[in-house]
Amino acid sequence: MHRKDSMPGRFALLAPLVLFALGAQAQSEISGQAAATGAPVPKNISVSQGQLDAAGRDAANFLHSNMSYAQTRYYPAAQINTKNVGKLKPAFVFQTEVLESMETAPIVVDGIMYLTTSYNHVYAIDARTGKEFWHYKHKQGPVMTYCCGPNNRGVAVMGGQLFMGTLDAKLVSLDAKTGKVLWSTQIADPELGYSETMAPVAVNGKVLIGTNGGEYGIRGFVKAYDAASGKELWSFATIPDKGHEGVWAANDATGRNMLRDIAAEKKQLADKGGDFYKTLGGGVWMAPAIDRETGTVFFVVGNPSPDLYGAERPGDNLYTDSIVAIDLNTGAYKWHYQYVAHDVWDLDAVSPVILTEAKGKDGKMRKVAIHGGKTGHVYVHDRATGELIRFSQAMVPQENMWVLPTKDGARMLPGANGGVEWSPMAFNPKTRLVYAANLHQPMTYHVEQAAYPGGKLWLGGAFKVIPSEKQWGRLAAVNVDTGKMVWKVDTEQPLIGGVLATAGGLVFNGEGNGLFRAFDAKTGKKLWEYQCGAGVNAPAVSYSVRGKQYVAVAAGGNTQLDFKRGNSVIVFALP
Amino acid sequence: MTVLARIALLAAALASAGAAAQAPPSAEVCAGCHGKDGNATLPGIPVLAGQTSRYLYLQLRDFQEGRRSNEQMSPMVKAMTRDDMRALADWYSKQKPAPQPFTPDAEKVRLGQLKAAETLCTMCHLGGFMGQNEIPRVAGQRYDYVVKQLGDFKARRRTNDAGNMTSVSNTLSDADIENLAHYLASL
Repeated sequence: MHRKDSMPGRFALLAPLVLFALGAQAQSEISGQAAATGAPVPKNISVSQGQLDAAGRDAANFLHSNMSYAQTRYYPAAQINTKNVGKLKPAFVFQTEVLESMETAPIVVDGIMYLTTSYNHVYAIDARTGKEFWHYKHKQGPVMTYCCGPNNRGVAVMGGQLFMGTLDAKLVSLDAKTGKVLWSTQIADPELGYSETMAPVAVNGKVLIGTNGGEYGIRGFVKAYDAASGKELWSFATIPDKGHEGVWAANDATGRNMLRDIAAEKKQLADKGGDFYKTLGGGVWMAPAIDRETGTVFFVVGNPSPDLYGAERPGDNLYTDSIVAIDLNTGAYKWHYQYVAHDVWDLDAVSPVILTEAKGKDGKMRKVAIHGGKTGHVYVHDRATGELIRFSQAMVPQENMWVLPTKDGARMLPGANGGVEWSPMAFNPKTRLVYAANLHQPMTYHVEQAAYPGGKLWLGGAFKVIPSEKQWGRLAAVNVDTGKMVWKVDTEQPLIGGVLATAGGLVFNGEGNGLFRAFDAKTGKKLWEYQCGAGVNAPAVSYSVRGKQYVAVAAGGNTQLDFKRGNSVIVFALP
Repeated sequence: MTVLARIALLAAALASAGAAAQAPPSAEVCAGCHGKDGNATLPGIPVLAGQTSRYLYLQLRDFQEGRRSNEQMSPMVKAMTRDDMRALADWYSKQKPAPQPFTPDAEKVRLGQLKAAETLCTMCHLGGFMGQNEIPRVAGQRYDYVVKQLGDFKARRRTNDAGNMTSVSNTLSDADIENLAHYLASL
């Protein structure tokens, strides 16, 4: 963040997820083509629903961007563990041709790795040797709109098909063996600010995907597509056309007053009506979690549009800044719980939901859904009802919450990137700890009246970093049964990318300065590190081939925080 | 996607690539004010030659949808399709900006350059003021057009950028605007 520090920062704009520097630099789009180049994968790829369901116990493959439908990112292999991790060495480095922000979580099937880059390239490589098989470059349409870099967070796999969302708001299915395009479906209109960076989720013949665009006045959704044909099966709007005003909540989920002028909001709604729901935002940035037993999809919804100017969008702005549960088969609403009503700080909900068990208030174990917020709290909900069982102590400093944004800027902590950004957390059921990558970026929040600009960036003000205040990151371990932060490791830079935990008692996390590190899951003691040469701002994955365990992570830097760019996935193993 | 659909797409792509080489028919009407190749010579009319395609397209769309309005432009775009707009935007973006007849004042250029650096214009407009994404190229833009637009942003007469330029131009005096316009015209 040195670069941002040196800027007076009129337009140190942040997005829902993020920091968006309107003019950070010219990004020449890497041009694409419709077909993959290279050779087919030298084996048949076929991932059954049974394998996808059992992915959390699969010590050979890594089948979902967050490892399993429960998204715990707790990898069951223990060959690499606290005793030997100090000897971990690179096995190979795979260089892509795209030197730009990497947020990909590689998928590994039967020794074949599928990884993605910015601008929607996909590579199929040998996960043991790094040998490239095929390379697909998506041909983008005339308009791509993205707030926070031309990122992609990975593919989903099912049967012999891969699925990827694209910056020009398409869902594409590729033949996993050849990289050939099987079908391509336009999800929404990119001219109106819709785009895709998230990894989809494939389940039972369906492909689920949300949308970016909370900085552009979209109306968010989660959609399900038929995996065979690409036909839309259902769509859940994250902004209901009626009732988005909610309950006029005065306090946030932790009981703090949000200083809303509810009388003025009610008058605005009565006078002008609620038609603004069509541009109220509510992006869904990360892969949903799925409870297969109850057929429920869980995700969090991002900020309302425009981010900072709330006067013309009265009400709670449901279901922005909320965790939401819907039916897997129909997309029908089940429940929601809102963290921040009528958000004017972009302190929204982005990091993917984790499904596990945790103690209820009575000490009995309950099935829960967990989310790490930009607010800096981990929230633990009952999975069936959404009831907030507990929220953790704040993982990062909170100051002056919830001061309202002003024309000249009001200082509040956390800054608009969090807390926990899109970075997935990991949960170790043995330590009972959830591991969260946090940012600390002191900022001022500025508001400016702003009419809907028709699919262009729409913040209604600005987020500015405070150059004189130091920024840093924090890997925090929080006990889900108590809400207490058990250990923390502070880092030179704000953390963005996500965490992997393993049965070897390890926690892997990357940093913007290029360090990729392993910690003892119980204590947070640093056990190993490797300098990757570019920002490690993607979640690590693990897998095994021929009995040998590997850990893989992308080192491509980050657009949003302007960490040094790279183009590689680095794969580690014991000698 | 079927093979047929792919062939159709390919054909469409080739057709549009070909069309970009010669002026779309509707450019004849535009030429009345903006000049034959987008190098405007009339007062208050912007140079379109070399402008980014993305920006031109978005402005045409905004004129049509009423987010930006202008007595001359608004009626012109009424009947345009999105494809018409894209064809025009692509074509003008490929035309070469010609040297301007306007002679910038050297002292005003110097002051304008200083003000531009202080205001961080290139954070959005990019080095050399070449534009990117939805942000226009303003290098070599006409002096009188720049003065008018900065004034319009300041007075909220132009708001189709969601207010970003309003907060910028609020920090500029009339003299600053004059100097900046000289500087940009000199590039």
